[in-house]
Amino acid sequence: MTVEERVINVTAKVLHMDPTEITLDKSFTEDLGAQSVQSIELVAAFEEEFDIEMDEDEALAVTTVGGAVNYIKTYLDK
Amino acid sequence: MSDKWPLKEVEQPDLLEDMFDYSLPPLIKFDGPICEEIDGKLVKFDPQEAVKRDLVITDTTFRDGQQARPPYTVEQQVHIYDLLAKLGGPNGVIRQTEFFLYTQNDRNALDKCRELGHRFPEITGWIRADKGDFRLVKEMGLKETGMLTSSSDYHIFLKLKKDRKKALEDYLAVVEAAWEAGVRPRCHLEDVTRASIDGFVLPFVTELVKRSEQVPSHLTAKVRLCDTMGFGVTYPGARLPRSVPKLVYRMVHDAGVPPERLEWHGHNDFHKVHINGATAWLYGCNALNATLLGFGERTGNPPLEGAIIEYIALKGGLNGIETTYITEIADYMRSIGVEIAPNYPFVGRDFATTRAGIHAGGLRSDERIYNIFDTNAILGRSPRVAITDKSGAQGVAHWVNEYLGLKGEDRLSITKVAKIARWVMDQYEVEKRLTAISEGEMEAQVKEHLPQYVEKLKRK
Repeated sequence: MTVEERVINVTAKVLHMDPTEITLDKSFTEDLGAQSVQSIELVAAFEEEFDIEMDEDEALAVTTVGGAVNYIKTYLDK
Repeated sequence: MSDKWPLKEVEQPDLLEDMFDYSLPPLIKFDGPICEEIDGKLVKFDPQEAVKRDLVITDTTFRDGQQARPPYTVEQQVHIYDLLAKLGGPNGVIRQTEFFLYTQNDRNALDKCRELGHRFPEITGWIRADKGDFRLVKEMGLKETGMLTSSSDYHIFLKLKKDRKKALEDYLAVVEAAWEAGVRPRCHLEDVTRASIDGFVLPFVTELVKRSEQVPSHLTAKVRLCDTMGFGVTYPGARLPRSVPKLVYRMVHDAGVPPERLEWHGHNDFHKVHINGATAWLYGCNALNATLLGFGERTGNPPLEGAIIEYIALKGGLNGIETTYITEIADYMRSIGVEIAPNYPFVGRDFATTRAGIHAGGLRSDERIYNIFDTNAILGRSPRVAITDKSGAQGVAHWVNEYLGLKGEDRLSITKVAKIARWVMDQYEVEKRLTAISEGEMEAQVKEHLPQYVEKLKRK
Protein backbone atom coordinates (compact mmCIF):
# COMPACT_ATOMS: atom_id res chain seq x y z
CA MET A 1 0.00 0.00 0.00
CA THR A 2 1.35 3.45 -0.89
CA VAL A 3 1.88 6.28 1.59
CA GLU A 4 -1.06 8.10 -0.04
CA GLU A 5 -3.39 5.13 0.49
CA ARG A 6 -2.29 4.65 4.08
CA VAL A 7 -2.81 8.35 4.87
CA ILE A 8 -6.29 8.23 3.33
CA ASN A 9 -7.20 5.07 5.27
CA VAL A 10 -6.03 6.53 8.57
CA THR A 11 -7.90 9.77 7.88
CA ALA A 12 -11.06 7.84 7.04
CA LYS A 13 -10.81 5.81 10.22
CA VAL A 14 -10.24 8.82 12.51
CA LEU A 15 -12.92 10.96 10.86
CA HIS A 16 -15.38 8.06 10.45
CA MET A 17 -15.65 8.48 6.66
CA ASP A 18 -15.54 6.33 3.58
CA PRO A 19 -12.01 6.38 2.07
CA THR A 20 -13.46 7.09 -1.37
CA GLU A 21 -14.64 10.49 -0.14
CA ILE A 22 -11.08 11.52 0.66
CA THR A 23 -8.72 12.89 -1.97
CA LEU A 24 -5.30 14.50 -1.67
CA ASP A 25 -6.59 18.01 -2.32
CA LYS A 26 -9.10 17.90 0.53
CA SER A 27 -8.61 20.16 3.58
CA PHE A 28 -8.86 18.30 6.90
CA THR A 29 -10.94 20.97 8.57
CA GLU A 30 -12.84 22.78 5.82
CA ASP A 31 -13.63 19.82 3.53
CA LEU A 32 -13.51 16.84 5.88
CA GLY A 33 -14.82 18.61 8.98
CA ALA A 34 -12.00 17.64 11.35
CA GLN A 35 -12.48 19.25 14.74
CA SER A 36 -9.74 20.35 17.11
CA VAL A 37 -9.38 17.04 18.93
CA GLN A 38 -9.62 15.11 15.67
CA SER A 39 -6.68 17.05 14.24
CA ILE A 40 -4.63 15.87 17.20
CA GLU A 41 -5.96 12.34 16.80
CA LEU A 42 -4.94 12.41 13.15
CA VAL A 43 -1.36 13.38 14.01
CA ALA A 44 -1.26 10.66 16.68
CA ALA A 45 -2.71 8.08 14.27
CA PHE A 46 -0.21 8.97 11.52
CA GLU A 47 2.64 8.57 13.98
CA GLU A 48 1.32 5.16 14.96
CA GLU A 49 0.70 4.05 11.38
CA PHE A 50 4.17 5.05 10.15
CA ASP A 51 6.03 4.51 13.42
CA ILE A 52 7.43 8.02 13.37
CA GLU A 53 7.44 10.94 15.79
CA MET A 54 6.62 14.22 14.13
CA ASP A 55 7.17 17.78 15.23
CA GLU A 56 3.82 18.57 16.84
CA ASP A 57 3.50 22.20 15.78
CA GLU A 58 4.58 21.51 12.20
CA ALA A 59 2.30 18.49 11.90
CA LEU A 60 -0.71 20.41 13.22
CA ALA A 61 0.01 23.21 10.73
CA VAL A 62 -0.52 20.84 7.77
CA THR A 63 -3.93 21.58 6.27
CA THR A 64 -4.54 19.09 3.46
CA VAL A 65 -4.36 15.34 2.97
CA GLY A 66 -1.72 15.81 0.26
CA GLY A 67 0.23 18.06 2.60
CA ALA A 68 0.18 15.33 5.22
CA VAL A 69 1.48 12.80 2.68
CA ASN A 70 4.37 15.08 1.75
CA TYR A 71 5.17 15.90 5.36
CA ILE A 72 5.15 12.25 6.42
CA LYS A 73 7.39 11.36 3.47
CA THR A 74 10.04 13.76 4.81
CA TYR A 75 10.23 11.56 7.90
CA LEU A 76 10.16 8.30 5.94
CA ASP A 77 12.99 9.53 3.72
CA LYS A 78 15.26 10.20 6.72
CA MET B 1 -0.91 54.99 15.00
CA SER B 2 -1.29 57.58 17.75
CA ASP B 3 1.36 60.33 17.87
CA LYS B 4 0.70 60.84 21.54
CA TRP B 5 1.11 57.19 22.46
CA PRO B 6 3.48 55.61 19.93
CA LEU B 7 3.98 51.86 20.21
CA LYS B 8 7.23 50.96 21.94
CA GLU B 9 8.49 47.66 20.61
CA VAL B 10 10.81 45.66 22.88
CA GLU B 11 13.44 42.98 22.25
CA GLN B 12 12.29 40.99 25.26
CA PRO B 13 8.85 40.91 26.88
CA ASP B 14 8.46 43.27 29.81
CA LEU B 15 7.02 40.98 32.48
CA LEU B 16 6.97 43.76 35.12
CA GLU B 17 9.02 41.56 37.40
CA ASP B 18 9.61 44.31 39.93
CA MET B 19 5.96 43.75 40.86
CA PHE B 20 5.36 40.27 39.54
CA ASP B 21 8.38 38.41 40.87
CA TYR B 22 7.04 34.91 40.28
CA SER B 23 8.72 33.56 43.40
CA LEU B 24 6.56 35.80 45.64
CA PRO B 25 2.96 36.94 45.79
CA PRO B 26 2.72 40.01 43.53
CA LEU B 27 4.15 43.02 45.31
CA ILE B 28 1.99 46.08 45.98
CA LYS B 29 3.84 49.25 44.98
CA PHE B 30 2.75 52.81 45.59
CA ASP B 31 3.56 55.86 43.51
CA GLY B 32 3.27 58.29 46.39
CA PRO B 33 1.26 59.29 49.42
CA ILE B 34 -2.41 58.44 49.93
CA CYS B 35 -4.55 61.52 50.50
CA GLU B 36 -7.69 61.83 52.62
CA GLU B 37 -9.65 64.88 53.70
CA ILE B 38 -10.31 64.64 57.42
CA ASP B 39 -12.01 67.39 59.40
CA GLY B 40 -11.60 69.71 56.41
CA LYS B 41 -7.84 69.18 56.22
CA LEU B 42 -5.91 67.28 53.56
CA VAL B 43 -4.09 64.48 55.35
CA LYS B 44 -1.36 62.48 53.67
CA PHE B 45 -0.48 58.91 54.57
CA ASP B 46 2.84 57.55 53.40
CA PRO B 47 2.60 53.87 52.45
CA GLN B 48 6.40 53.60 52.48
CA GLU B 49 6.33 54.56 56.15
CA ALA B 50 3.50 52.13 56.75
CA VAL B 51 5.30 49.09 55.38
CA LYS B 52 8.38 49.92 57.45
CA ARG B 53 6.32 49.71 60.63
CA ASP B 54 6.24 46.47 62.64
CA LEU B 55 3.09 45.22 60.93
CA VAL B 56 1.85 42.03 62.56
CA ILE B 57 -1.01 39.59 62.40
CA THR B 58 -2.81 38.66 65.58
CA ASP B 59 -4.89 35.54 65.61
CA THR B 60 -8.34 34.90 67.02
CA THR B 61 -8.96 31.43 65.62
CA PHE B 62 -9.55 30.05 69.11
CA ARG B 63 -11.78 32.92 70.22
CA ASP B 64 -13.86 34.52 67.48
CA GLY B 65 -13.10 31.55 65.24
CA GLN B 66 -14.63 29.16 67.74
CA GLN B 67 -17.75 31.29 68.03
CA ALA B 68 -18.63 30.11 64.53
CA ARG B 69 -18.20 26.37 65.01
CA PRO B 70 -18.24 23.57 67.56
CA PRO B 71 -15.30 23.82 69.96
CA TYR B 72 -11.96 22.36 68.95
CA THR B 73 -10.63 19.56 71.12
CA VAL B 74 -7.53 20.27 73.16
CA GLU B 75 -5.44 18.18 70.74
CA GLN B 76 -6.81 20.07 67.76
CA GLN B 77 -6.09 23.44 69.36
CA VAL B 78 -2.56 22.42 70.20
CA HIS B 79 -1.89 21.18 66.68
CA ILE B 80 -3.36 24.31 65.10
CA TYR B 81 -1.33 26.49 67.46
CA ASP B 82 1.81 24.62 66.46
CA LEU B 83 1.03 25.15 62.77
CA LEU B 84 0.33 28.85 63.38
CA ALA B 85 3.73 29.20 65.03
CA LYS B 86 5.44 27.52 62.08
CA LEU B 87 3.51 29.58 59.53
CA GLY B 88 4.28 32.90 61.22
CA GLY B 89 7.95 32.05 61.68
CA PRO B 90 10.51 33.02 64.28
CA ASN B 91 10.08 36.77 63.83
CA GLY B 92 6.52 36.60 65.01
CA VAL B 93 4.65 37.85 61.97
CA ILE B 94 1.78 36.04 63.67
CA ARG B 95 2.47 37.85 66.91
CA GLN B 96 -0.32 36.85 69.26
CA THR B 97 -3.29 34.53 69.59
CA GLU B 98 -6.09 34.88 72.09
CA PHE B 99 -7.80 32.19 74.10
CA PHE B 100 -11.04 31.91 75.97
CA LEU B 101 -10.36 31.16 79.61
CA TYR B 102 -13.79 30.10 80.82
CA THR B 103 -13.83 26.33 80.42
CA GLN B 104 -11.41 23.67 81.64
CA ASN B 105 -10.98 22.70 78.01
CA ASP B 106 -9.83 26.27 77.18
CA ARG B 107 -7.36 26.28 80.02
CA ASN B 108 -5.98 22.82 79.26
CA ALA B 109 -5.43 23.81 75.65
CA LEU B 110 -3.64 26.97 76.71
CA ASP B 111 -1.30 25.04 79.02
CA LYS B 112 -0.47 22.47 76.38
CA CYS B 113 0.16 25.13 73.74
CA ARG B 114 2.60 26.87 76.05
CA GLU B 115 4.36 23.56 76.65
CA LEU B 116 5.35 23.57 72.97
CA GLY B 117 7.76 26.37 73.82
CA HIS B 118 7.08 28.61 70.83
CA ARG B 119 7.95 32.26 71.34
CA PHE B 120 5.26 33.29 68.85
CA PRO B 121 2.36 33.59 68.71
CA GLU B 122 2.21 34.89 72.28
CA ILE B 123 -0.92 33.73 74.05
CA THR B 124 -3.27 36.35 75.39
CA GLY B 125 -6.68 36.05 77.00
CA TRP B 126 -10.15 37.27 76.26
CA ILE B 127 -12.61 38.12 79.01
CA ARG B 128 -15.78 40.06 79.50
CA ALA B 129 -15.27 43.47 81.11
CA ASP B 130 -15.69 41.98 84.55
CA LYS B 131 -13.22 42.65 87.32
CA GLY B 132 -13.60 39.12 88.67
CA ASP B 133 -12.38 37.64 85.44
CA PHE B 134 -8.86 38.91 86.07
CA ARG B 135 -8.44 36.06 88.52
CA LEU B 136 -8.60 33.71 85.53
CA VAL B 137 -6.05 35.77 83.61
CA LYS B 138 -3.67 35.83 86.55
CA GLU B 139 -4.11 32.14 87.29
CA MET B 140 -3.18 31.31 83.73
CA GLY B 141 -0.11 33.53 83.94
CA LEU B 142 -1.09 35.68 80.98
CA LYS B 143 0.42 39.11 80.50
CA GLU B 144 -2.33 40.55 78.33
CA THR B 145 -6.02 40.14 77.90
CA GLY B 146 -8.66 41.54 75.65
CA MET B 147 -11.84 42.84 77.22
CA LEU B 148 -15.14 44.03 75.87
CA THR B 149 -15.52 47.79 75.89
CA SER B 150 -18.49 48.24 73.61
CA SER B 151 -18.53 51.66 72.04
CA SER B 152 -21.73 52.22 70.08
CA ASP B 153 -24.98 53.43 71.56
CA TYR B 154 -26.51 50.25 70.15
CA HIS B 155 -24.41 48.35 72.66
CA ILE B 156 -24.20 50.87 75.48
CA PHE B 157 -27.87 51.77 75.63
CA LEU B 158 -29.66 48.81 74.05
CA LYS B 159 -27.50 45.91 75.24
CA LEU B 160 -25.79 47.08 78.42
CA LYS B 161 -28.69 49.35 79.48
CA LYS B 162 -26.22 52.07 80.49
CA ASP B 163 -25.52 55.57 79.35
CA ARG B 164 -22.22 56.75 77.90
CA LYS B 165 -20.92 58.15 81.20
CA LYS B 166 -21.65 54.95 83.09
CA ALA B 167 -20.13 52.81 80.35
CA LEU B 168 -16.96 54.93 80.25
CA GLU B 169 -16.57 54.82 84.03
CA ASP B 170 -17.16 51.08 84.17
CA TYR B 171 -14.68 50.37 81.39
CA LEU B 172 -12.01 52.51 82.99
CA ALA B 173 -12.59 50.77 86.30
CA VAL B 174 -11.94 47.41 84.67
CA VAL B 175 -8.81 48.78 82.99
CA GLU B 176 -7.61 49.95 86.41
CA ALA B 177 -8.34 46.48 87.76
CA ALA B 178 -6.22 44.98 84.99
CA TRP B 179 -3.33 47.22 85.92
CA GLU B 180 -3.74 46.34 89.59
CA ALA B 181 -3.50 42.69 88.58
CA GLY B 182 -0.39 43.40 86.52
CA VAL B 183 -2.15 42.52 83.29
CA ARG B 184 -2.00 44.57 80.11
CA PRO B 185 -5.53 45.52 79.02
CA ARG B 186 -6.54 45.42 75.39
CA CYS B 187 -9.78 47.32 75.01
CA HIS B 188 -12.01 45.89 72.33
CA LEU B 189 -14.07 48.82 71.06
CA GLU B 190 -17.02 46.73 69.96
CA ASP B 191 -19.19 48.13 67.20
CA VAL B 192 -16.88 51.10 66.66
CA THR B 193 -18.03 51.52 63.05
CA ARG B 194 -21.47 52.39 64.41
CA ALA B 195 -20.31 54.49 67.36
CA SER B 196 -20.17 58.18 68.12
CA ILE B 197 -16.51 58.91 67.55
CA ASP B 198 -16.48 62.41 69.02
CA GLY B 199 -19.13 61.71 71.64
CA PHE B 200 -17.79 58.49 73.14
CA VAL B 201 -14.85 56.82 71.41
CA LEU B 202 -12.40 59.73 71.55
CA PRO B 203 -13.27 60.68 75.14
CA PHE B 204 -12.79 57.08 76.27
CA VAL B 205 -9.64 56.35 74.28
CA THR B 206 -8.06 59.68 75.12
CA GLU B 207 -8.58 58.95 78.82
CA LEU B 208 -7.17 55.47 78.29
CA VAL B 209 -4.03 56.91 76.69
CA LYS B 210 -3.69 59.48 79.44
CA ARG B 211 -3.98 56.90 82.21
CA SER B 212 -1.56 54.62 80.36
CA GLU B 213 1.12 57.25 80.86
CA GLN B 214 1.01 56.41 84.56
CA VAL B 215 1.83 52.70 84.14
CA PRO B 216 4.96 50.88 82.94
CA SER B 217 5.20 50.61 79.16
CA HIS B 218 4.52 46.86 79.15
CA LEU B 219 1.13 47.52 80.76
CA THR B 220 -0.03 50.41 78.58
CA ALA B 221 -3.50 49.83 77.21
CA LYS B 222 -3.95 48.59 73.67
CA VAL B 223 -6.95 49.48 71.53
CA ARG B 224 -8.71 47.10 69.20
CA LEU B 225 -11.03 48.69 66.67
CA CYS B 226 -13.81 46.15 66.29
CA ASP B 227 -15.87 46.41 63.13
CA THR B 228 -18.34 44.09 64.76
CA MET B 229 -20.97 44.19 62.01
CA GLY B 230 -18.67 44.66 59.05
CA PHE B 231 -19.77 48.22 58.36
CA GLY B 232 -16.25 49.54 57.72
CA VAL B 233 -15.42 50.94 54.28
CA THR B 234 -12.16 52.03 52.72
CA TYR B 235 -13.31 54.58 50.14
CA PRO B 236 -11.57 57.95 50.43
CA GLY B 237 -14.06 60.51 51.60
CA ALA B 238 -16.38 58.02 53.29
CA ARG B 239 -17.89 59.43 56.46
CA LEU B 240 -17.12 58.37 60.02
CA PRO B 241 -17.77 56.09 61.78
CA ARG B 242 -17.64 53.77 58.76
CA SER B 243 -14.39 55.07 57.28
CA VAL B 244 -11.49 52.78 58.18
CA PRO B 245 -8.83 55.38 57.25
CA LYS B 246 -10.49 58.10 59.32
CA LEU B 247 -11.04 55.83 62.30
CA VAL B 248 -7.40 54.80 62.37
CA TYR B 249 -6.23 58.37 61.82
CA ARG B 250 -8.31 59.73 64.65
CA MET B 251 -7.09 57.04 67.03
CA VAL B 252 -3.45 57.75 66.22
CA HIS B 253 -3.61 61.51 65.65
CA ASP B 254 -6.40 62.73 67.91
CA ALA B 255 -6.39 60.15 70.72
CA GLY B 256 -2.64 59.55 70.64
CA VAL B 257 -2.70 55.76 70.37
CA PRO B 258 0.64 54.69 68.88
CA PRO B 259 0.37 52.25 65.93
CA GLU B 260 1.98 49.44 67.93
CA ARG B 261 -0.93 49.57 70.36
CA LEU B 262 -3.64 49.72 67.73
CA GLU B 263 -5.35 46.73 66.18
CA TRP B 264 -8.09 46.17 63.58
CA HIS B 265 -10.69 43.43 63.98
CA GLY B 266 -13.18 43.07 61.13
CA HIS B 267 -16.18 41.04 60.07
CA ASN B 268 -17.19 40.02 56.60
CA ASP B 269 -20.88 40.86 56.44
CA PHE B 270 -20.33 43.05 53.37
CA HIS B 271 -17.43 41.19 51.70
CA LYS B 272 -14.99 43.85 52.88
CA VAL B 273 -13.22 42.06 55.66
CA HIS B 274 -9.80 41.54 54.12
CA ILE B 275 -9.36 44.90 52.44
CA ASN B 276 -10.57 46.72 55.56
CA GLY B 277 -7.88 45.00 57.60
CA ALA B 278 -5.15 45.68 55.08
CA THR B 279 -6.28 49.30 54.85
CA ALA B 280 -6.04 49.67 58.62
CA TRP B 281 -2.43 48.48 58.34
CA LEU B 282 -1.64 51.15 55.77
CA TYR B 283 -3.27 54.00 57.62
CA GLY B 284 -1.57 53.52 60.97
CA CYS B 285 -2.65 50.34 62.70
CA ASN B 286 0.12 47.78 63.25
CA ALA B 287 -1.95 44.71 64.12
CA LEU B 288 -4.48 42.98 61.91
CA ASN B 289 -6.60 40.52 63.85
CA ALA B 290 -7.50 37.44 61.80
CA THR B 291 -8.63 33.83 61.92
CA LEU B 292 -7.58 30.79 59.96
CA LEU B 293 -9.79 30.43 56.88
CA GLY B 294 -11.71 33.50 58.03
CA PHE B 295 -13.94 31.50 60.37
CA GLY B 296 -15.63 33.75 62.88
CA GLU B 297 -18.94 35.01 64.11
CA ARG B 298 -21.55 34.99 61.29
CA THR B 299 -19.68 35.76 58.07
CA GLY B 300 -16.29 35.58 59.71
CA ASN B 301 -13.14 37.59 60.26
CA PRO B 302 -10.19 38.55 58.07
CA PRO B 303 -8.73 35.29 56.77
CA LEU B 304 -5.31 34.87 58.33
CA GLU B 305 -3.84 33.22 55.26
CA GLY B 306 -5.00 36.20 53.19
CA ALA B 307 -3.33 38.53 55.67
CA ILE B 308 -0.11 36.53 55.34
CA ILE B 309 -0.10 36.92 51.55
CA GLU B 310 -0.96 40.62 51.89
CA TYR B 311 1.86 41.08 54.39
CA ILE B 312 4.37 39.65 51.93
CA ALA B 313 2.92 41.72 49.08
CA LEU B 314 3.23 44.94 51.09
CA LYS B 315 6.54 44.19 52.80
CA GLY B 316 8.17 42.66 49.74
CA GLY B 317 9.57 39.68 51.59
CA LEU B 318 8.78 36.71 53.81
CA ASN B 319 10.35 37.85 57.11
CA GLY B 320 10.49 34.25 58.27
CA ILE B 321 7.00 33.24 57.13
CA GLU B 322 6.74 29.61 55.99
CA THR B 323 3.95 29.91 53.46
CA THR B 324 3.61 26.20 52.71
CA TYR B 325 2.06 25.77 56.14
CA ILE B 326 -1.02 27.51 54.73
CA THR B 327 -1.69 24.38 52.70
CA GLU B 328 -0.80 22.11 55.61
CA ILE B 329 -3.22 23.97 57.86
CA ALA B 330 -6.02 23.68 55.29
CA ASP B 331 -5.34 19.95 54.89
CA TYR B 332 -5.44 19.52 58.65
CA MET B 333 -8.68 21.49 58.93
CA ARG B 334 -10.27 19.26 56.29
CA SER B 335 -9.06 16.20 58.16
CA ILE B 336 -11.01 17.30 61.24
CA GLY B 337 -14.17 17.92 59.29
CA VAL B 338 -13.91 21.59 58.41
CA GLU B 339 -15.45 22.35 55.03
CA ILE B 340 -13.59 24.74 52.76
CA ALA B 341 -15.41 26.18 49.76
CA PRO B 342 -13.91 24.90 46.50
CA ASN B 343 -13.32 28.42 45.19
CA TYR B 344 -11.75 29.70 48.41
CA PRO B 345 -8.51 31.61 47.66
CA PHE B 346 -5.16 29.90 48.30
CA VAL B 347 -6.54 26.67 49.79
CA GLY B 348 -9.83 25.80 48.06
CA ARG B 349 -9.94 22.77 45.80
CA ASP B 350 -10.24 24.94 42.70
CA PHE B 351 -7.48 27.37 43.63
CA ALA B 352 -4.85 27.37 40.83
CA THR B 353 -7.13 25.05 38.88
CA THR B 354 -8.44 25.93 35.44
CA ARG B 355 -11.13 24.26 33.38
CA ALA B 356 -10.78 26.20 30.15
CA GLY B 357 -8.72 24.57 27.43
CA ILE B 358 -7.27 27.88 26.31
CA HIS B 359 -6.00 28.57 29.83
CA ALA B 360 -4.62 25.05 30.00
CA GLY B 361 -2.79 25.73 26.75
CA GLY B 362 -1.27 28.83 28.34
CA LEU B 363 -0.25 26.89 31.43
CA ARG B 364 1.34 24.28 29.21
CA SER B 365 3.50 26.76 27.34
CA ASP B 366 4.45 28.85 30.42
CA GLU B 367 2.64 28.46 33.71
CA ARG B 368 3.21 32.12 34.59
CA ILE B 369 0.55 33.06 32.02
CA TYR B 370 -2.32 31.68 34.10
CA ASN B 371 -0.85 31.07 37.56
CA ILE B 372 -0.92 33.94 40.06
CA PHE B 373 2.53 33.14 41.47
CA ASP B 374 4.73 30.10 41.91
CA THR B 375 2.01 28.25 43.76
CA ASN B 376 4.10 25.12 43.92
CA ALA B 377 6.98 26.82 45.74
CA ILE B 378 4.82 29.11 47.88
CA LEU B 379 1.92 26.81 48.71
CA GLY B 380 3.03 23.38 47.56
CA ARG B 381 0.31 23.38 44.91
CA SER B 382 1.08 23.18 41.21
CA PRO B 383 -1.41 24.74 38.82
CA ARG B 384 -3.96 22.11 37.87
CA VAL B 385 -6.52 21.56 35.17
CA ALA B 386 -9.92 20.14 36.02
CA ILE B 387 -11.12 18.10 33.09
CA THR B 388 -14.45 18.93 31.47
CA ASP B 389 -15.69 19.35 27.89
CA LYS B 390 -13.97 22.76 27.90
CA SER B 391 -10.51 21.40 28.70
CA GLY B 392 -9.47 20.32 25.20
CA ALA B 393 -6.36 18.29 24.46
CA GLN B 394 -4.24 21.06 26.01
CA GLY B 395 -6.01 20.65 29.31
CA VAL B 396 -5.75 16.89 29.18
CA ALA B 397 -2.03 17.12 28.39
CA HIS B 398 -1.47 19.47 31.32
CA TRP B 399 -3.38 17.20 33.70
CA VAL B 400 -1.49 14.11 32.55
CA ASN B 401 1.90 15.80 32.80
CA GLU B 402 1.15 17.06 36.30
CA TYR B 403 -0.14 13.64 37.33
CA LEU B 404 2.96 11.93 35.99
CA GLY B 405 5.23 14.62 37.41
CA LEU B 406 6.88 15.23 34.04
CA LYS B 407 8.96 18.38 33.66
CA GLY B 408 10.55 20.30 30.79
CA GLU B 409 11.29 18.25 27.69
CA ASP B 410 9.94 15.11 29.33
CA ARG B 411 6.42 16.53 29.28
CA LEU B 412 4.10 14.75 26.89
CA SER B 413 2.80 16.54 23.81
CA ILE B 414 -0.90 16.78 23.06
CA THR B 415 -0.66 14.05 20.42
CA LYS B 416 0.49 11.61 23.10
CA VAL B 417 -2.73 12.15 25.00
CA ALA B 418 -5.00 12.13 21.95
CA LYS B 419 -6.79 8.92 22.98
CA ILE B 420 -7.52 10.26 26.44
CA ALA B 421 -8.71 13.55 24.95
CA ARG B 422 -11.03 11.58 22.65
CA TRP B 423 -12.41 9.62 25.61
CA VAL B 424 -13.09 12.89 27.43
CA MET B 425 -14.87 14.40 24.44
CA ASP B 426 -16.96 11.26 23.96
CA GLN B 427 -18.07 11.47 27.57
CA TYR B 428 -19.80 14.74 26.76
CA GLU B 429 -20.67 14.40 23.08
CA VAL B 430 -21.71 10.75 23.04
CA GLU B 431 -22.55 9.93 26.64
CA LYS B 432 -24.11 13.37 27.25
CA ARG B 433 -22.35 13.67 30.58
CA LEU B 434 -22.86 16.85 32.62
CA THR B 435 -20.31 16.44 35.42
CA ALA B 436 -16.55 17.01 35.54
CA ILE B 437 -14.24 14.05 35.01
CA SER B 438 -12.97 12.82 38.35
CA GLU B 439 -9.32 12.37 39.25
CA GLY B 440 -9.91 8.63 39.53
CA GLU B 441 -11.34 8.41 36.03
CA MET B 442 -8.41 10.34 34.61
CA GLU B 443 -5.96 8.10 36.44
CA ALA B 444 -7.67 5.06 34.93
CA GLN B 445 -7.34 6.56 31.45
CA VAL B 446 -3.65 7.26 31.96
CA LYS B 447 -3.10 3.68 33.12
CA GLU B 448 -4.92 2.35 30.08
CA HIS B 449 -3.37 4.53 27.40
CA LEU B 450 0.02 5.44 28.82
CA PRO B 451 1.03 2.40 30.87
CA GLN B 452 4.74 2.87 30.16
CA TYR B 453 4.69 6.27 31.87
CA VAL B 454 2.74 4.96 34.84
CA GLU B 455 5.42 2.29 35.27
CA LYS B 456 8.11 4.99 35.26
CA LEU B 457 6.13 6.94 37.84
CA LYS B 458 5.92 3.86 40.07
CA ARG B 459 9.67 3.28 39.80
CA LYS B 460 10.28 6.88 40.89
